[in-house]
Amino acid sequence: MHEGCVMNQGGNTQTVAPLDPNPIEKRYGVEGSQVQTSPYQYSTGSDAASWTTHSVDNQVVQQNGNYSNSNYYHPQPPVPATGNVQETSSSTSGTVNVAQDYSAYTPYQTPSDLQNYSNTGYTNYYSGCYQQQQPSQPYTQPVGAYQNTGAPYSSFQNPGSYAGTASYSGTYYNPADYQTTTGGYQSTAYNSQTAGGYVNQTPTSSNQGNYTSNPYQNYTPDAANIHSATTATATPVHYQQNYQQWPGYYSQTEVPCAPGTENLPATSAFSQSFPVAGGVASEMPASNGQPAPSYAQNWRQETDSSQPPPQQPAAAVSASNNAYWMHQTPSQQAHYPVPPQNHYQSPLETKPLYETPIQGHQRATYPQELNSQASIHQAPLGYRQPTQTTPSVDTQRVSKIQIPTNPRIASNLPSGYTKMNKERSPAGATQTPAYVSVSMSNPKGHTSAMPEPGTFPKALCGFVERAFARCKDDKEKASCQAALKKIITQATNDGTINTRDWDIEPLSTVLNTDVTNTESSSAPISSLQNKSPTRRPKSRWEPIVESKPFVKPASTFTSGVKFGGWNHPNVNNKKSSETFQKVDAVTGSKPTYFAQNSAKKSFQRPVKRQRFAGGAIDDEESSDSEKELTPYYSSAMSLASSADEKKRRDSRSKRFEKVQGHSRGNDIPKPKISNVRRGTALRLGEVLDESCGSRAVEDMDWDALTVKGTCQEIEKRYLRLTSAPDPTTVRPEDVLEKALSMVQDSPKNYLYKCDQLKSIRQDLTVQRIHNHLTAKVYETHARFALEAGDLTEYNQCLSQLKILYAEGIEGCTLEFAAYSLLYITLHSNNNRELLSSMSRLSKEAKGDEAVRHALSVRAAVTSGNYVMFFRLYKTAPNMNSCLMDLYVEKMRYKAVTFISRSCRPSIPVSYLAQVLGFAGTSSEGTGEKENDGMEECSEWLKAHGASLIADSNGDMVLDTKASSTSLFMPEPEDAVAHGDRYLDVNDFFTRT
Amino acid sequence: MAYVSMGEAHRRITEYLNRFCDAVSYQDSSMLCRLLSFSSNSPSLLSLADALNVFQDASSLIRQSDKFSEYGEILAHLFRSLQSYRVGNLVEAYLAFEKFANAFVQEFRNWESAWALEALYVVCYEVRILAEKADKELTSNGKSPEKLKAAGSLLMKVFGVLAGKGPKRVGALYVTCQLFKTYFKLGTVNLCRSVIRSIETARIFDFEEFPRRDKVTYMYYTGRLEVFNENFPAADTKLSYALQHCNPKRERNIRMILKYLIPVKLSLGVIPKDELLQKYNLHEYMNVVQALRKGDLRLLRHALQEHEDRFLRSGVYLVLEKLELQVYQRLMKKIYIIQKLSDPARAHQLKLEVIAKALRWLEIDMDLDEVECIMTILIYKNLVKGYLAHKSKVVVLSKQDPFPKLNGKPVGS
Repeated sequence: MHEGCVMNQGGNTQTVAPLDPNPIEKRYGVEGSQVQTSPYQYSTGSDAASWTTHSVDNQVVQQNGNYSNSNYYHPQPPVPATGNVQETSSSTSGTVNVAQDYSAYTPYQTPSDLQNYSNTGYTNYYSGCYQQQQPSQPYTQPVGAYQNTGAPYSSFQNPGSYAGTASYSGTYYNPADYQTTTGGYQSTAYNSQTAGGYVNQTPTSSNQGNYTSNPYQNYTPDAANIHSATTATATPVHYQQNYQQWPGYYSQTEVPCAPGTENLPATSAFSQSFPVAGGVASEMPASNGQPAPSYAQNWRQETDSSQPPPQQPAAAVSASNNAYWMHQTPSQQAHYPVPPQNHYQSPLETKPLYETPIQGHQRATYPQELNSQASIHQAPLGYRQPTQTTPSVDTQRVSKIQIPTNPRIASNLPSGYTKMNKERSPAGATQTPAYVSVSMSNPKGHTSAMPEPGTFPKALCGFVERAFARCKDDKEKASCQAALKKIITQATNDGTINTRDWDIEPLSTVLNTDVTNTESSSAPISSLQNKSPTRRPKSRWEPIVESKPFVKPASTFTSGVKFGGWNHPNVNNKKSSETFQKVDAVTGSKPTYFAQNSAKKSFQRPVKRQRFAGGAIDDEESSDSEKELTPYYSSAMSLASSADEKKRRDSRSKRFEKVQGHSRGNDIPKPKISNVRRGTALRLGEVLDESCGSRAVEDMDWDALTVKGTCQEIEKRYLRLTSAPDPTTVRPEDVLEKALSMVQDSPKNYLYKCDQLKSIRQDLTVQRIHNHLTAKVYETHARFALEAGDLTEYNQCLSQLKILYAEGIEGCTLEFAAYSLLYITLHSNNNRELLSSMSRLSKEAKGDEAVRHALSVRAAVTSGNYVMFFRLYKTAPNMNSCLMDLYVEKMRYKAVTFISRSCRPSIPVSYLAQVLGFAGTSSEGTGEKENDGMEECSEWLKAHGASLIADSNGDMVLDTKASSTSLFMPEPEDAVAHGDRYLDVNDFFTRT
Repeated sequence: MAYVSMGEAHRRITEYLNRFCDAVSYQDSSMLCRLLSFSSNSPSLLSLADALNVFQDASSLIRQSDKFSEYGEILAHLFRSLQSYRVGNLVEAYLAFEKFANAFVQEFRNWESAWALEALYVVCYEVRILAEKADKELTSNGKSPEKLKAAGSLLMKVFGVLAGKGPKRVGALYVTCQLFKTYFKLGTVNLCRSVIRSIETARIFDFEEFPRRDKVTYMYYTGRLEVFNENFPAADTKLSYALQHCNPKRERNIRMILKYLIPVKLSLGVIPKDELLQKYNLHEYMNVVQALRKGDLRLLRHALQEHEDRFLRSGVYLVLEKLELQVYQRLMKKIYIIQKLSDPARAHQLKLEVIAKALRWLEIDMDLDEVECIMTILIYKNLVKGYLAHKSKVVVLSKQDPFPKLNGKPVGS
């Protein structure tokens, strides 16, 4: 992590320096020469390190390896790139007569863009090998962001390579993310790819917006498709090609950096893209409660280093994407459908965003080669549209990701804090239009759009971007805009606009002002939200819940602020940039977008996650908390109606606020207080960060960051955390106790209980409560899971319980010892495991009834004594019989094969029914007291291929000789292709 | 610790350094072994350790001369490890030793011939032993023991160095055995599989060319693995190989092998002589064998209960438990023989009632259903030939060889 930080800083410094003095060309040439600066050294060192680690990773971890490979080879994919890419390249190249650089650049761009990773990977690679600073720096930034994200998820950080691989870490972690995301995600990725193959990618990627689009597709698809393809081809060659291309690339990238007039447009465009992201991002900050400054920094880094503004975003995106996935997938495990929505959310919105980055690119190119400009312009237009949709998604992700990072990075910010606000305003005014244009998809006015492009330093633009990125809403935007205006005008008046270090300027000032603003306006906002609960599409799982009006807590941090100006920008945009992108955006992008959507949609619907969502069906009265989830479900619902998208998105972005809203009832937890506390926690983190440059995540003082909950609601839906927990939504221990007993007494079904218990577990974990209550919760959950046959959940609980028991926490140790014994004998069937768990039993344990029962079940199973087994089945204490259910089928089958082989000439079915546990266990046993189980037994026998005949007395008997060869184990009816029948919601419902 | 003067310390350290460098340059493997073997607690090493603790700046000594500094990294880590070892700080000692081992292996890789193989063995052995000790220290401090695991991965690395072609390959089996020991201790036996595969599939090197000592150890451990998998014939061959090639004077080793070989043989129907059990002090198996001979189910159960902990720990419990079926067979045979004495014509009909009564005499209470269940299993597993007439509750035995012997084949085959 720290390396990442260091690098970032280095990057900043560097970028700052280049901004003012260096003419663009110089910079180009410099590539090699720039090395001297201190930042450079950092980057190289880190890069090299990362490189090595990377290679190691490849060897050791195959998955990682794949990913990394993909990064490597990405460049190649461009070759295969389909029509879009070619188009772009050809058009650009044709138009551009420019220097080699340029030509190189164009091809490069398309490919590179297509594969975000590739760029990053390459840059790293090159930086390592060739010692080119620039590439490495952009890279580092993403890393930093990534790392930050990692912080909350300690697991990710752990991987050893982390420290070393500043640049790589982003990519490196991807695999991890990827893994975590599970099948659903993969499938989607694959879909898009497989369906379109490269086609999908290319459209998106061909546009420069590619970063965003690419990253997303990249990980999975690239890893799979690209990787294979690329690997086949000779890598070295590619590298060289890439290398050659680099100069062009650099030139391009650097252009934005150059302080010249043209820079502004580029930056502005760049910034524009951000706001969109910001919209998405805003969700996170709000929920996280992390201070704005940190966020700002992230951006700053990117922008600063922005040598290749387009690229940086890409890099960031890629990193962020991964992170994004991490966040989302985990959080949404239950609600799988959601993630897709985010992507698709609002095609309109996303498009604009996307386009802006592209524009930035073009502008960048302009300065370099004036001749080619005109032609270039047009060419880019063509591509842009396809990419747009994806990019937006990416940006969103990016923003989200970065937020988590903030705490670390943010440490620097405080100093710059106050400055920020003042300088903003002019830029804000100008920039906002740019932003608007993006959203509207009329890019034409690009150049024209920026009235005084030359005047603003790039960093400032970045700053503004950042500010907007944080805005969730139109209102927020508006307020933010105003604040920015103020700042910037002031700065211009002061004459500090060019001298100020905008990168360091904390956004918080802007945001703070916003906060106050929003506070005043919060009521109206909330009312707005409340007005139309119906607009939120209802998920098919969930009954529509009337959203209760609530007063948004003022303290919601950034969230309130962000409401600002979504719409406003749009209006502005129209003026400025309409001509340019309009056509493309409308025509090209949409089709691709939808196609992707549909493909992904179909995939992402998969059932598994929904089972929890499905639980909602049962709890009609579930409290407000459900409302939070509605957006999730809704997202799953309909990507189709894009009109609703935005609203939905808004609602989604507000879900965290809503959560906070729940706490309105209780006076104790003033959100502000919580925020303050969180703030302190964050600050603490910062301090830690600063004090120990290379401290690893593991060394963080998590105690200081532990949350103390203040929520008084007893019922709470489970929602996987995507950010630091908010104390106002976390229930303290006494409430949790009540919640537990509520769940225990609840008449609702397992899905509901599971959901509730999971949320209880989450609250316990977040508050690091490790006591008898924790054990009790896990025990309860394990029992419910057993009852419902949910072995996955049961296993999770059991492994936690083992840890708890090992810590000496009291609980039903023996009961669960029996369960685990049974589980091993009946399910995992591992001799060694069985032996070790048997040898661990204490004398006292062996005296326990449940344990003794489990042991005799084991004996019966190992010897095949079916009579004993079914007797034990009937006398099982606790939930032992639930576990024995796992083996009943097998045991019966075994028994019948034994019998049909050994007994002659026949054996009465009634005897079998009695011996094999059919008697008395019948489901309709309520009617007749003694059920002989004959019918069930004979049906079971028939289903297994036994031949039944009537003997002389007319009794049904099993013809053993005939049966001995005809017996078979039928395919389980509920078997599903993916092997886990619990994945099917409907099955699950019928069984519970 | 005896007082050591500064000069004396200096002398000892330089002497050690000289010896080390000489051993390397003359390729004197045995000397090198002596210089590295911590666990021998040899007086010269101990005195060196004392000297090192007095003369804190040993690294400057190493740096002084080109001769020493060539192996500076190796020696520096070694010294640090020795220091900590002497002071009793085993975790530190392990960590330093691990670094030393890494450096040494790196150096070893550069030596073309395999002259230092013995020294490498010592290093591998010491790493494992030190790790075990360090883990003990860690657990006593309430920390999680993880050093042995680290040693495992280090050994795996060494294995990678040796496993290629060339003269060094002979050493691969030794490292494999050290790995086995590590993994068995850690309980991560499944990790053995990859090593085994690379040993058994490699055609470059004939297994017989490995040193005998390593072959025996290897066969012992792989045989144990087969016992876990209840693959008795394979376990039998491996353990028998180990037994045959084991040095007959090493009674402890023979006993270790027999501990697994006897249950394996028993489940293949081969019963050892009592003298064997007595000679190698395997009394825990006495009653088991006796029960098998007599068909005394009660005795078997008692024996299992009596030594349950031991059997569970060594992992033969489940194997022995499965002998029950053979005991039943023996019991049936006894009943059959008795019946034959009284009424040869109807001897082949065993009434379930009679069997239940016999079991009751053994203080084992079973009703007819259960007895019937046992009989179906026996017939199914081919321990009894015949069929069961459910209606009349009689087992009808085949007239030819009603109780087939296993003859080295596992039950149920």
